[in-house]
Amino acid sequence: MKFEKKRASSSEEIPTASMPDIIFMLLLFFMVTTTMREVQVLVDYKLPNAKALEKIENKRLISYIWVGKGDRIQIDDSIVKVDQIREIMYKKRQELPNIIVSLRVDVGTDMGLVTDIQQELRKAYCLRINYSANVKV
Amino acid sequence: MLRRRRSEEANIPTSSMADIAFLLLIFFLVATVIDVDTGIGLTLPEYIPPEEQKQIEVPKDRMAAILINENSEVLLDGKPISIFQIKNTLKPRIISKISLPKNKKLIVSIKTDRKTVYNAYIQALDQVKLAFFEVRDEYSNGKFGKKFKDLNPEQQKEVKQAVPIIISLAEPEVVTK
Repeated sequence: MKFEKKRASSSEEIPTASMPDIIFMLLLFFMVTTTMREVQVLVDYKLPNAKALEKIENKRLISYIWVGKGDRIQIDDSIVKVDQIREIMYKKRQELPNIIVSLRVDVGTDMGLVTDIQQELRKAYCLRINYSANVKV
Repeated sequence: MLRRRRSEEANIPTSSMADIAFLLLIFFLVATVIDVDTGIGLTLPEYIPPEEQKQIEVPKDRMAAILINENSEVLLDGKPISIFQIKNTLKPRIISKISLPKNKKLIVSIKTDRKTVYNAYIQALDQVKLAFFEVRDEYSNGKFGKKFKDLNPEQQKEVKQAVPIIISLAEPEVVTK
């Protein structure tokens, strides 16, 4: 008996012509759903965990304030002092009236500093705030 | 002597197109952030200079005063309590005020020391929010048979009116050095 290798008569190539289109579609999806990383975080912080979380629907309204270890406060790309917050945030609010301030504060920070920041925000009329936190499992 | 030259089929090589698109894709994956921002939302009161502040008496049973000290110990209405008990202690008090008019709902006041750790404050705030959310869920479950987040905007508004979240952050005391 003679064994013969069976070979399919059809061609064996996978068509790759549509590959770029598929990748471009993926690319477009990511471009639409995500936002660009805007700032480099200069402070060291660890967010607290919580359960009663809300999602912020509109990312473009958010302005971040980071408070890291050693009471370092960062807004945008620079480290600022507490008494500078008011001026900076007031300017931001003029550009974006319904601004949401997301406070990314390190777990070990003293409440005194957080209260001071909140007082400055109140003076700058940035009243909508959000304490950033991770989901507690 | 004219001879028509047969032109060869002209084509642009497209095999590297996929690679180029992949590179672009990877660039966008690295340069963007996907994580959704989650956090505890709060609306601060307007700033009123201390000399214009008015003291308003609030009946004792309407207030739930939470005080957190620098060792993360919690007092609720003067009684020591652990942070994780706050939710269950507040819930019956919120429920008992559902049918009362708007100006008689429960106010939760949170006060901290300057030396209190931020984490303790967030945990306490989380408990308070959880208590309100659970009461809202129970109320909407009893009334509409759905959870709060599945209700339509009008029903949500109704539930929000019945169970408003009123959290008051105590005005910080002036520190004298």
